[in-house]
Amino acid sequence: MIFNSFSFLIFITVVFTLYWVVNNKSIAHQNLLIVVASYTFYGWWDWKFLSLIMFSTLVDFSIGILLLKKERRRKLLLATSIIINIGLLGFFKYFNFFIDSLINSVALLGYELNMTTLNIGLPIGISFYSFQTLSYTFDIYKRKIEPTRDFIAFAAFVSFFPQLVAGPIERASSLLPQFYQKKVFDLKKAVDGLRQILWGLFKKMVIADNCAEYVNLIFDSSNDFSGSTLLLGAFFFSFQIYGDFSGYSDIAIGSARLFGVDLNRNFAYPYFSRDIAEFWRRWHISLSTWFRDYLYIPLGGSRGTIINRVKNTFVIFLVSGLWHGANWTFVMWGLIHAVLFIPLLLGKKNRNHMDIVGGKRMAAPVGDVLRIISTFIIVSISWIFFRADSIGQAINIVDRIFSFSIVSIPDLQGYGDPIVTILLVVLLIGVEWIGKNKKHALENMENLMSRPTRWALYSILIFLIGMFMVSDETPFIYFQF
Amino acid sequence: MSLFIYMLLVILWWNAPGAFKPNVNDPFRSYGHTFSRLREADSVTDIDILFIGSSHSYRGFDTRIFERNGLATFNLGSGAQTPMQTKILLSRYLDKMSPKKIIYEIYPGTLSLDGLESTLDIIANDKVDYLSFLLGFKQFNIRSTNMLIYSIYRTLTSDFERLEEPDIKGKDKYISGGYVEKELRFFKKVNYPSQNWQLNSEKLFVVDEIVDLANQCGIETVFVFAPITESLYNSYCNNNRIDSVFKNKKEKYFNFNILLNLDDSLHFYDAHHLNQNGVEMFNEALIDMLNSKGM
Repeated sequence: MIFNSFSFLIFITVVFTLYWVVNNKSIAHQNLLIVVASYTFYGWWDWKFLSLIMFSTLVDFSIGILLLKKERRRKLLLATSIIINIGLLGFFKYFNFFIDSLINSVALLGYELNMTTLNIGLPIGISFYSFQTLSYTFDIYKRKIEPTRDFIAFAAFVSFFPQLVAGPIERASSLLPQFYQKKVFDLKKAVDGLRQILWGLFKKMVIADNCAEYVNLIFDSSNDFSGSTLLLGAFFFSFQIYGDFSGYSDIAIGSARLFGVDLNRNFAYPYFSRDIAEFWRRWHISLSTWFRDYLYIPLGGSRGTIINRVKNTFVIFLVSGLWHGANWTFVMWGLIHAVLFIPLLLGKKNRNHMDIVGGKRMAAPVGDVLRIISTFIIVSISWIFFRADSIGQAINIVDRIFSFSIVSIPDLQGYGDPIVTILLVVLLIGVEWIGKNKKHALENMENLMSRPTRWALYSILIFLIGMFMVSDETPFIYFQF
Repeated sequence: MSLFIYMLLVILWWNAPGAFKPNVNDPFRSYGHTFSRLREADSVTDIDILFIGSSHSYRGFDTRIFERNGLATFNLGSGAQTPMQTKILLSRYLDKMSPKKIIYEIYPGTLSLDGLESTLDIIANDKVDYLSFLLGFKQFNIRSTNMLIYSIYRTLTSDFERLEEPDIKGKDKYISGGYVEKELRFFKKVNYPSQNWQLNSEKLFVVDEIVDLANQCGIETVFVFAPITESLYNSYCNNNRIDSVFKNKKEKYFNFNILLNLDDSLHFYDAHHLNQNGVEMFNEALIDMLNSKGM
């Protein structure tokens, strides 16, 4: 069941009621309910893959305990955890991709390789929960945390349904301790969680899904459109993927807060970034920090020679690209960001913009506005590689954007009215700009507005969702990763 | 309170420009004369035959032809009507109409539609009662929800009972009894790529429920696959499967794409619908068939 569905509404209402009213005797009861609910949620997608998440949970729970007991076998145990988690991920996600790539590479040399690809389904959320459990074993190995002996709490940490299928990727140090303490209902937290869910639903159902209509149209027939239309398509995709993924994260974080659990922030208004380095501090924060802590830093990070720093940066971005999907377009997307990031790193400008643009003021300096616009354009062009079916298509689209056909009015006549979608995007930008100093755009509104004003705003948002949502259920983009 | 404000905003927003209200489709008094048909249905009692189904029904069964043959009929077909909407309409009108027979026009395409178009059509053009809510709930979609909200408002404020719809709209003419006659036109034959009918088992289950509903009232149901153009019919590779599904039921089933030889150009005005010449031939053939079977 997806978040923006009636079945999820029923599900979370039932679980919420059971959690706080029926099953709140002890933390053990609460955790057990979370595990049962989470497995039900996951099994709703595909019950066959429940065994995988159970297996992953058992393996890393056991390895965690053994890491404490078996001092001499720590490296072997860590290696086992890595092999199993990455192995499962690699098999389900990349097996066919590597076979196809090998066949194509050999074909370039004039040979034919007879290898069979498998009809493998991708277990939903595997990219997320496998990284989450790996971070647990990594942190125990580095002696940052102690292993837990509470299997139910650990299972709740791994499978917690709000963040199970598309993150945020949580660290054991921040999430696991929350399953050791009996939760007490916090009305203020729950209400703010509901506000965050509402804003997430608006971003997904209004912004992302409406942008998607034009993105699909433009990318599916990219040869038929001018450079300006293709650029508009890239902009629409920028907001589609942002609305989709940050919307999901908001719903996940808001839902978790209904159960008294705090998840880490995953997006911090990335399109208000003034350079690529800032963008990567604000986009999919849980993934980028995961790669920073468990790949980049162990490789040496920013220390060492220039060659080392460049190599490490390339590795991070290429792996990050590949994480997103089994297609060379994602690798290319990662490569583009690596190329954009490295000059900032080498010029020691990657930490130039650590503050929030404009601070607490509504207006921002003109220079910063220009930087935001140029960063957005660069990021949007890179998204073309993320969205395109092939590198060839992406290059073709970019080529047409940087041709004379850019000097034209985007032509989407006969395909609905993109102006409405653009106005909705402007609304999104406006609301998020006003809330740029908050964790989410509607945070703590009770401090800023009277009750009637707040309820009027909620009603308008609900109305906009009801009036502009795409009426069919639409999945989230990041579920495919 | 947010829900109340939402309902208010939907009502206030109803007359906004189309691009600004994508989830508002108001087929009130639009195509198919559904408003006139359902208005008339309210006063119809004790008929011989009730026709139900999609546009193939309300454009395919001319009640005047049956009247000429001594049969009192009513046509309760509507655009893209799927079994879900058929069941709701029968729940609303079957008792009052008490037909001796139901001719259920089965166009296989409706067995794979989601039914939203028909739900909107019926909610917009019929009175609002608990069946409207049931229909809106079963077809849980923001458009049907918005339509239901506005229909309630329209019912409460517009003196719904006294609203009228012109009999002639464009090339269509509403005929008392529920039939819609299209101004005589002919069809230029086109070819279609090979395709298959997609049958939804849930929809077929509802068809069985409809038959049960009729049986409970002692009403016989007859399934009819109304004629479509030969080129369209032959493009489907699994027509035998449709025949097999309906022949395996206890009720009679007639596929007039096999039983009747019509010309795509002379007897149709589009790929799906008979022109008046074709309707005459089809209806006479149906009457003959029913008579010959002692029905």
